Amino acid sequence: MSQLQLRLLTPSHKTVDFDFLVKGQFLRTPLSTHMETEGISTEDVVEIEYVEKITAPEPEECMMHDDWISSVQGDSEWILTGSYDKTARIWSVEGKPVLTVAGHADVVKDVAWVKRENLTSLLLTASLDHTVILWEWNSEKNKVNARHCCRGHTASVDTVATDPTGTKFCSGSWDKMLKIWSAVPTDEADEVEEPADRPRKKQKTQQLGLTRTPIMTLSGHNEAVSSALWTDTDEVCTASWDHTIRIWDVESGIMKTTLTGSKVFNSISYSPLCRRLASGSTDRHIRLWDPRTKDGALVLLNLTSHTGWVTAVKWAPSNEHQLVSGSLDNVVKLWDTRSCKAPLYDLAAHGDKVFCVDWTENGLMLSGGADNKLYSYRYAPCQTDAGA
Amino acid sequence: QLLGAGPADGQDDDTDSEESEYSGLEDSGSDSDSEETGSDPDSGEEDGSKEASEETGDEDAEVGPSAVKRDIRNTVGNIPMEWYADFPHVGYDLDGKKILKPLRSKDELDAFLDKMEDPDFWRTVQDPQTGRDVVLSEQQVALVKRLQKGQFGDINFNEHEPSVDFFSYDVMIHPVTNRPSDKRSFIPSLIEKEKVSKLVHAIKMGLIKPRRSQDDSKGRYYDLWASEEQGRVRDLRMHVPAPRVPLPGHEESYNPPPEYLMTPEERAVWEQQDPEDRKLAFVPRKFSSLRQVPAFERFIHERFERCLDLYLCPRQRKMRVNVNPEDLIPKLPRPRDLQPFPTTQSMVYLGHEGLVRSISPSPCGQWLLSGGDDGSARFWEVSSGRCVKKVEVCGAIKSAVWNPNQGLSLVALAVGSEVLLVTPPSTAADKQVVTATERLLSEEVESAMGEGPVIWSNAEGEELLHGIRIKIQHPKPVSQVTWHSKGDYVAAVMPDHSSHLQVLIHQVSKRRSQSPFSKNKGLVQSVAFHPIRPYFLLATQRSVRIYNLLKQELSKKLQGNAKWISSIAVHPGGDNVICGSYDCRLSWFDLDLSTKPYKTLRHHRRAVRSVAFHRSYPLFASASDDGSVIVCHGTVFSDLLQNPLIVPVKVLKGHVVTHDLGVLDVTFHPSQPWVFSSGADGTIRLFT
Repeated sequence: MSQLQLRLLTPSHKTVDFDFLVKGQFLRTPLSTHMETEGISTEDVVEIEYVEKITAPEPEECMMHDDWISSVQGDSEWILTGSYDKTARIWSVEGKPVLTVAGHADVVKDVAWVKRENLTSLLLTASLDHTVILWEWNSEKNKVNARHCCRGHTASVDTVATDPTGTKFCSGSWDKMLKIWSAVPTDEADEVEEPADRPRKKQKTQQLGLTRTPIMTLSGHNEAVSSALWTDTDEVCTASWDHTIRIWDVESGIMKTTLTGSKVFNSISYSPLCRRLASGSTDRHIRLWDPRTKDGALVLLNLTSHTGWVTAVKWAPSNEHQLVSGSLDNVVKLWDTRSCKAPLYDLAAHGDKVFCVDWTENGLMLSGGADNKLYSYRYAPCQTDAGA
Repeated sequence: QLLGAGPADGQDDDTDSEESEYSGLEDSGSDSDSEETGSDPDSGEEDGSKEASEETGDEDAEVGPSAVKRDIRNTVGNIPMEWYADFPHVGYDLDGKKILKPLRSKDELDAFLDKMEDPDFWRTVQDPQTGRDVVLSEQQVALVKRLQKGQFGDINFNEHEPSVDFFSYDVMIHPVTNRPSDKRSFIPSLIEKEKVSKLVHAIKMGLIKPRRSQDDSKGRYYDLWASEEQGRVRDLRMHVPAPRVPLPGHEESYNPPPEYLMTPEERAVWEQQDPEDRKLAFVPRKFSSLRQVPAFERFIHERFERCLDLYLCPRQRKMRVNVNPEDLIPKLPRPRDLQPFPTTQSMVYLGHEGLVRSISPSPCGQWLLSGGDDGSARFWEVSSGRCVKKVEVCGAIKSAVWNPNQGLSLVALAVGSEVLLVTPPSTAADKQVVTATERLLSEEVESAMGEGPVIWSNAEGEELLHGIRIKIQHPKPVSQVTWHSKGDYVAAVMPDHSSHLQVLIHQVSKRRSQSPFSKNKGLVQSVAFHPIRPYFLLATQRSVRIYNLLKQELSKKLQGNAKWISSIAVHPGGDNVICGSYDCRLSWFDLDLSTKPYKTLRHHRRAVRSVAFHRSYPLFASASDDGSVIVCHGTVFSDLLQNPLIVPVKVLKGHVVTHDLGVLDVTFHPSQPWVFSSGADGTIRLFT
């Protein structure tokens, strides 16, 4: 194989490492061993593709927080993190702290960008105090303003996701509900029927923004909703502790599909490039699902290498094969679906549990966890120059 | 002699016939012997033909050789021929016609003339059978001559062959001889024959009477086994083989391999041992050759021991039942088929210093409460391992229990002689639930606060900020608190040998306490409310009593064979109870079945500290001082006839044994097949 590689290397101008693909699988062993294990007959003509080798992500920045990092979402310019110190923070991609968004009464469990228009951005923070707050951030003035406080959940809100158009968002909570909200800031508060005998003294806590009520409440899960995302403009996919992934039609408010697993789901991610769902669950496996198949074979692939709960998975925004996962075993792993036996790279920077991972569009991988550090990794998005 | 006798009218005598009989001669038929020709038809054929051609020339010659064989013979048989001396014939031929004697008209003169004239006269003899004269051939004459000389009749017989020595003066290795057996050994003994004939004669004559068989009419002898015919058959069939002689081993060889020889130390040990205790009855010895092996001095001894073996061998056949050991193992499903159950450690909740005595999950499953010896109760987020709240109390927390009612957000802690009612962080529950809890706790109830042994008081100041709301002061240290499933009643255990006041049931809504038992039934270890029916379970050291709270009577008393019960748990279905004990056992009681344990599991090596049932999955777990948690599958069937299926599925290890204490408490997640365990090493672990 080395000879082959040499021969292939000569036409290339500079020394570039290649990875070889045999029938859509990365070659990690000598060719003969690989063919033996994959059951490829030696009589067949084997087509070997080569792609530029994905270089190891390099640690770029380490952003220290005051407390555990529960969630992260990257943008092309800014990084939004939610933390256990009840705040959300905005960082620049270079790793400079920009702003601390404080206002929640409890741990911020999830954060999401809604819209970025010039200098004003909308962002969401979901918290253990049962609320989701829609913030408006002016990056020039560097001021943040709570526009709406979304009340309606009766337990901690664990996940929040914005729809592709940026007009709606959904939130999943420990109260087993999935709620759809409007993400458009308005100047009038929704009516909330307050219990009459509510003690007045609790009201004195300053009202952050205008109260907003959900457009729609979708119930169906039997346990906490741990992860929600939009797969389309009117389609929401949720993963839950009741071992199911459900796909909802937001327009009509009905459940379209249920994918049943055998373990608690911690996190899901959807890639529009390959139209696959990746789920991280408590049994250490990352599973790839095809949400559109109607037959029984729902799990397409099992990616097994983690030794703890998989708390976060995320598809690469630009590559249909790659995904990153974080686990309670302190390791972040970069996977390629063409090499399902072992991950491409193990990123063992964290000293404690990893809770969240994300990609930015400009080639950064982010991971945060219980060691209060948010790591960013520079990652060279490879150009798909496949040869044969 | 013969020749002389021949002419003298052919009379024969016995001695001659005897001789010819035993001489073994072929041609005796043509001899003067009269009987021989008659008795031996083949012998006379050639001689007879010669006679016919030479002498007579009458009918015999015409008939030819084939006729000679047939009818020249006399049919009178083997009789003395002198019987026919007075008859004109000598006998009868085959056709019954008389064979006439040849005319003997010769007088002395004729005889003399013949003698003178006939050159063959000297070899002419008269055949007594036929009365004819027969001229002997040359051969016959030669034979006669040889016999007269005392030589062997057979010319070919060499009487001077070199003799074979049967005996020699050399000492031979074999004592036997090659000597052929004597002739006398082939022939019947005449002496014996004589004796036998005498005896036969005597018996015939009545001189000897055969011995009379003794008639045993007196019954002196009887058939000992007569009635045991069946048994003897059985004995033959059920033959008990003699014990086998053990085969000789290498150490019994005269030239054993060196490793079988005894070293001096072994030899010394061997000599000190009692003969019964010795592994070998002899000392292995080595000889360079078999010749040098001395006489076996233990021969008699060994024979005797063998006889003892035979004598003492058991005379009863041991009925060995062929049982496949696989069949004895009960058919249990494989643990793999009983998924889901916790298999691996997923999370460690770190923070406590010192023993973590008690853990309890919130009814929704999002939170976990723990209390330990470091005087803090902590609220953990299950999914992340985050300690969200820490409540400091003065004293070690013996027991911490979350209120099972989903509509209340309240926990009970047993600290010293107090029971504290604490509210979890407000975000841990729905606002309405928090409000309901607030209302319950802040209600002013005009209860009989001064009465009884228990003092209720509202917490104030610092403690109120921590969430401690109500303190219930007990007269004695409280070891356990447990909630009723409705969440209004809480039972507290104060173990005390001497008092009847060991269990108190508090009603939170009315701030009222009552002591349900007026008698001391022993040291109370643990109590539990029945999940469905109004029963109250009380575990003392040796037994579990079930009281009916409505009728206020003892409904059942479960007698385990445990020495010291440590904990009990009730199946959510309500018909089964498990009970762990300090003597390493876990007993499963089926309340419908019996008051004895349906099954006792002894998988732990140290004391069982805590047992727990899962609320929805068919799982139960036991925690032990050996640092392990054992998860068992326990299906309870709705069919009353089917016994519960109990299969141990997993041993979960992780806790470090500290000060001889391992896992102190175990509890299941309310909705997932996960198990929490808290240990003496200050950690709480989640196994999924």
